[in-house]
Amino acid sequence: MVGKVFSNVASNYDLMNDFMSGGLHRLWKDRLVSKLSPFPGMKHLDVAGGTGDVAFRILESVNSIKRRALQDPLNDDLQEETRIYVCDINPNMLDVGKNRALEKGLGEDKSLVWVQGDAEALSFEDNSMDGYTIAFGIRNVTHIEKVLSEAYRVLKRGGRFLCLELSHVDIPVFKELYDFYSFSVIPRLGEIVAGDRESYQYLVESIRRFPPQEKFASMIADAGFQKVEYENLVGGVVAIHSGLKI
Amino acid sequence: MYRTVVNRILLTKNTGGGRRCLLRFPDLRTAVSSSRFSTTTEPQTFPNRPLNPADSSTSSSSTSFQTSSAAGDIPRQERKNPRAEYQGEQARVLQASLRHVLRLGWSEEAMIAGAKEVGISPSIVGSFPRKEAALVEFFMDDCLQRLIDRIDSGEELQDLIPSQCIYKLVRFRLEMQAPYISKWPQALSIQAHPLNVSTSFKQRAMLVDEIWHAAGDEASDLDWYVKRTVLGGIYSTTEIYMLTDSSPEFRDTWLFLDNRVKDAFDLKKTIQEATYLAEAVGAGMGSSLQGFVGKVIQR
Repeated sequence: MVGKVFSNVASNYDLMNDFMSGGLHRLWKDRLVSKLSPFPGMKHLDVAGGTGDVAFRILESVNSIKRRALQDPLNDDLQEETRIYVCDINPNMLDVGKNRALEKGLGEDKSLVWVQGDAEALSFEDNSMDGYTIAFGIRNVTHIEKVLSEAYRVLKRGGRFLCLELSHVDIPVFKELYDFYSFSVIPRLGEIVAGDRESYQYLVESIRRFPPQEKFASMIADAGFQKVEYENLVGGVVAIHSGLKI
Repeated sequence: MYRTVVNRILLTKNTGGGRRCLLRFPDLRTAVSSSRFSTTTEPQTFPNRPLNPADSSTSSSSTSFQTSSAAGDIPRQERKNPRAEYQGEQARVLQASLRHVLRLGWSEEAMIAGAKEVGISPSIVGSFPRKEAALVEFFMDDCLQRLIDRIDSGEELQDLIPSQCIYKLVRFRLEMQAPYISKWPQALSIQAHPLNVSTSFKQRAMLVDEIWHAAGDEASDLDWYVKRTVLGGIYSTTEIYMLTDSSPEFRDTWLFLDNRVKDAFDLKKTIQEATYLAEAVGAGMGSSLQGFVGKVIQR
C-alpha cells in the first residue's frame, strides 16, 4: 500500500506538499537542518528523503560554512569528505531527487549519494554516521522500533537522531480546525491536483495513527538515545524529535 | 545567599571529604534555557531506560510514561547513571574545546575541534542549546570553581582587611581570563546576547556573592544588594579595562582595580560625610530662617 502510494505521488509530491502546508514545509525543513548544525566532513544519512529536500539543505549549509573565513587549513580537505546519503525504499522518489539535483547543478557533486534501501534494515555499517534525519517518513514504516534501533546502530558516538513528523494537536479550538482541514480539504486537494484521492486519505489517517509526541519520545529513549527532546511547530501539527547517542 | 544555599545542600549530601565542589546546577540551567523557547512549547526531556526488549509490553499500555517506568524494577541509581553520561561527555567536549578557543574563538569551530579531540562525533555540538554560549558559560563556571578552591585553601584571606581581600580575589579571578584575553571581547558579546543575558547575569551574581562572602560579609538587609552591585561594577569595569591593557602582566589593570576598590570604600565614608554636611547646613539654615521669620512677624 505504502509503495503504491509513493509511486503514485512521487511526481507531484513536492507540489502537493506546498499546497497542503501552505508552503510551510520549507520552513519546517529549514528548522530541522538548523537544529542538526551540519559541519564540513560530516557523514549524514537522510532516510525516506527521496526527493532530496533535507539533503540539499544540509549540503548548502555545509558549503556556506566553508565560505565563512576559517583559519583552519584542515577544513579545506574535510570539505571533500562530506557525504550525505539519501536513502529511500522507493526508486521513483529517488529518481525525482536525482533530477532535482541535476537541476540545481549538483549532479556531479560526489557529496550526494542516492541509495535505495529499507529503513528497517539499513545497509550501512555500525557507528558510521554523524547524523540521521527522517523527515515525514517514519509514520509510513511498519515497525517504528526497528527503524529507531537501526538509527541507533548506524550512528557514531555523539551522533544525533532527528525526526520531523506530522504529529498531534492538543490546543482546543485549533484542533477542530485542523481536523476539518485534514479530513475535508486535503483529500479533495489530492483529487484535484494529483488526481488521487485515496493516497491522501491514507496520508491523513496515517497521521492520526502515529503515536503522540510523548509516546514517540519514550520510544526513542527505549532505543537507547539520550537527551530525547521534542519541539512542536505550529501548535503540534509538526514535531521535531531529537536524540543523542552516547 | 547562594553560598548559604550551596552549603546547606552540601552538608546534607557530602558525608566526608574536605574539598568543596560547586554544584554545576545543570538542571537549573536546562530549566532556564528551556523556558526561553518562545516560539514553541517547552522541549520535554526523558530519562533514558536501559535497553530492554521485554519492556515492549509496557509501550502498549495506555498509562503515562511516568507510571510505567515507576512500575519497572530498575533501581534509581542505575537509571540516573546513563542520563548523567551525556552531560559528562558534553563537559569533556567543552573542556577540550577551551584549548582551541585562542585559535578559533568562542565559536562552533572550536567546539567541533574539541569534540574531534575527545573522539566524539562533532554532531554533539548541535545538542548544546545555545552552542557558543554553552562554552562561555562552562568556562565561567570553571573559573568560579577554581576561585572557590582558592578561597577554601587560602588561610591568609581572613587576616586581610575587606578592601585588600576583595582586591586579591578579583585580581585572582581576572588573571584566569588573561590567557584568553585576545578572544575575551567575543565572549563578552556572547554573554550580552539577549538569549544568554539571564544565565550570564546569574553567574556573575554568584561570583560577586562568593567574593563578598570570602571578605567576611554577614549583612542581609538592603546593604547586601548595594555591596553586590558596587562589587559587580568594580569587577565589570576592571574586566573591560583589561581588554585594552597592553602593559606587561596587566600592571595598569591592577592599579586601576586598586583605585576602584579604594574609591568604593571611600564612597561609604563620603556618603556619611555628605549626610552630616546636609544635616549641618539644614540646622544652620533652619536657625537663620527662624530668626528672619521671627523678625518679620515681630514687625
